[in-house]
Amino acid sequence: MNGHRVRAVAKRIVLGFRRDRRSLGLLFVAPVVVLSLVGAVWGVATERVPTVVVATDRFNFPAPIVDRFVASSAIHGRRGTFEEGLSQLRDGKVDAVVWLEGTTLHIQIEGADPLESGSIGGAIQKALADTLAGASVLLGGGPAVQVDQLYGGPDYSILDYLAPVLVAFFAFFFIFLLSAVSFLRERTTGTLERLMATPLRRAELVLGYLAGFSFFALLQAIVILLFTVFVLKVHYRGTLATIFIVEAVLVIGAVSLGLLVSAAARNELQAVQFVPIVLLPQVFLSGLLIPVDQLPDYLRPLSAVLPLTYANEALRSVMIKGYELADPLVLRDIGILVVFGLVMAVGAVTSIRREVA
Amino acid sequence: MFPADELNVETEFAVDAQGVRKRFGAIEALRGLDLAIRAGEIYGLLGPNGSGKTTFIRCVAGLLRPEGGMLTVLGGAPSAAVSAGRVGYMTQAAALYGDLSVDENLRFFAALQGVAHADERIVEALRTVDLLDRQRSVVNTLSSGMRTRVSLAATLLHRPSLLLLDEPTVGVDPLLRQEFWAYFRKLAASGTTLLVSSHVMDEASRCDRLGLIRAGAVLAEGTANELVARAGTPDLESAFLALAEAR
Ligand SMILES: Nc1ncnc2c1ncn2[C@@H]1O[C@H](COP(=O)(O)OP(=O)(O)OP(=O)(O)O)[C@@H](O)[C@H]1O
Ligand SMILES: [Mg+2]
Repeated sequence: MNGHRVRAVAKRIVLGFRRDRRSLGLLFVAPVVVLSLVGAVWGVATERVPTVVVATDRFNFPAPIVDRFVASSAIHGRRGTFEEGLSQLRDGKVDAVVWLEGTTLHIQIEGADPLESGSIGGAIQKALADTLAGASVLLGGGPAVQVDQLYGGPDYSILDYLAPVLVAFFAFFFIFLLSAVSFLRERTTGTLERLMATPLRRAELVLGYLAGFSFFALLQAIVILLFTVFVLKVHYRGTLATIFIVEAVLVIGAVSLGLLVSAAARNELQAVQFVPIVLLPQVFLSGLLIPVDQLPDYLRPLSAVLPLTYANEALRSVMIKGYELADPLVLRDIGILVVFGLVMAVGAVTSIRREVA
Repeated sequence: MFPADELNVETEFAVDAQGVRKRFGAIEALRGLDLAIRAGEIYGLLGPNGSGKTTFIRCVAGLLRPEGGMLTVLGGAPSAAVSAGRVGYMTQAAALYGDLSVDENLRFFAALQGVAHADERIVEALRTVDLLDRQRSVVNTLSSGMRTRVSLAATLLHRPSLLLLDEPTVGVDPLLRQEFWAYFRKLAASGTTLLVSSHVMDEASRCDRLGLIRAGAVLAEGTANELVARAGTPDLESAFLALAEAR
């Protein structure tokens, strides 16, 4: 193993991309564009103020409290009878009807869209909490409603939960694609043949690729994190160093998988066709969109072998829950990612036969 | 690195091939190829398209493993000579990184070969191929003949004992071609062994010895004069045709 040769390969990759504007754009601009879209769609979801009918015929609170509730800034409150409220809800003119039954506050919502439902419920709870917090004197010290969330909070949007996993997803997607195509180019232009006719060893070549692409992956992570934190105002906790470590070990797997795929492809078009095969299962099964514990049993084993599953878990733990690097769960995830990366890297080394043809 | 005495164990032949066989599926590219290249000579590998020239050179460069026969390069296995940095291989198509400048390409290959004074060697190699003024140019912006020249420069950086040049002068203008051959001659005089493949008979006559190959086997081997005498023809071209027919 020769460090100079590994460094030479890494440097070659970095220099090559310096002039490849399109690939750089893909690497840095595309995630920012996609994140902006995600931010526009989901970033403000909970800030929407739902229109709520307060069914005064079933709301036997002292009048001043009902007034406060209707006037709360978290909702657009309206008064009406229960029946009126329900028919307006069916017509889609309002988002919810609330009434009291004993000590229980009922919220009737349309419920066709689970995302919407959550944000309406949250807004009404907030309105109620506001009302009661200021009204305990009027109620004579009655029980105050308080909603506490372990992580996040009412001002957290879906984007806050998506941002950590999107960091991992972008790194995996772009680095996988770029390394697959770069290495394929190395095969098709004959430079691989030339490399193999020098003292360069296959393992040195793979290590050089890992180093070169890790550089870009970390730069990309910095761009994504800065953009999500300062522009999209995503909430996040945890230390930057821990996020980078998770990112770096994920990238080892992504680059190696890219090299492996390039061995199976004859041209760039074929390499691109591997993207959905490698990526789509990870979109659906890694906890990116659907929590892993909500997957059907028969899909769990598949989820368990996908690297993004562990990267997502680790990054959510770090960025949302503020876990430290030393946390056993984070360490376990990183360990699994390292093992995945190593297995793929060894596979990549063996896929580069001296017999290039 | 390798112990000095191991490097100096040199047989009389820089390349010694005996009955080398290589097939690609149904195609038998090399069918028992015999040839021997002496240290410090320019050996010309001559043959029509598909006769196995590139295949043989790739075997010598350790990129293909022959299925049969014996192949010794610089006194050992091909891969050992390559790992020791003693072989320079110029591929038939200029294999360079198009997104890098000439300088960056050469610096990269110099680093892989562990060249100590890269700056000097790069200037020297570029002067040899007359491209010193294009050192900063991005390879994609060069003409195809220029790329061929950069490709040759990249092969010279580490001063290999054995140079494998697969059609090195294709697309190179006549004047520069002259200079190339003068330079090859100089290299050979300083002890470098050159294996050069070619179709061009005029180039072939500049080689110390020639191997005429067809369909993966050597038809005849010797100096240009020997081959002409053996065939009893006025020139090398007709000698080649005559020898090919005689088989
Ligand atoms: N990678 C490969 N896969 C399959 N067949 C191959 C491969 N490389 C070479 N061949 C076959 O081996 C034979 C010899 O090819 P080779 O490239 O050695 O010829 P050549 O003498 O260099 O020809 P040219 O003058 O056109 O460069 C040809 O029939 C070719 O089709
Ligand atoms: Mg050829």
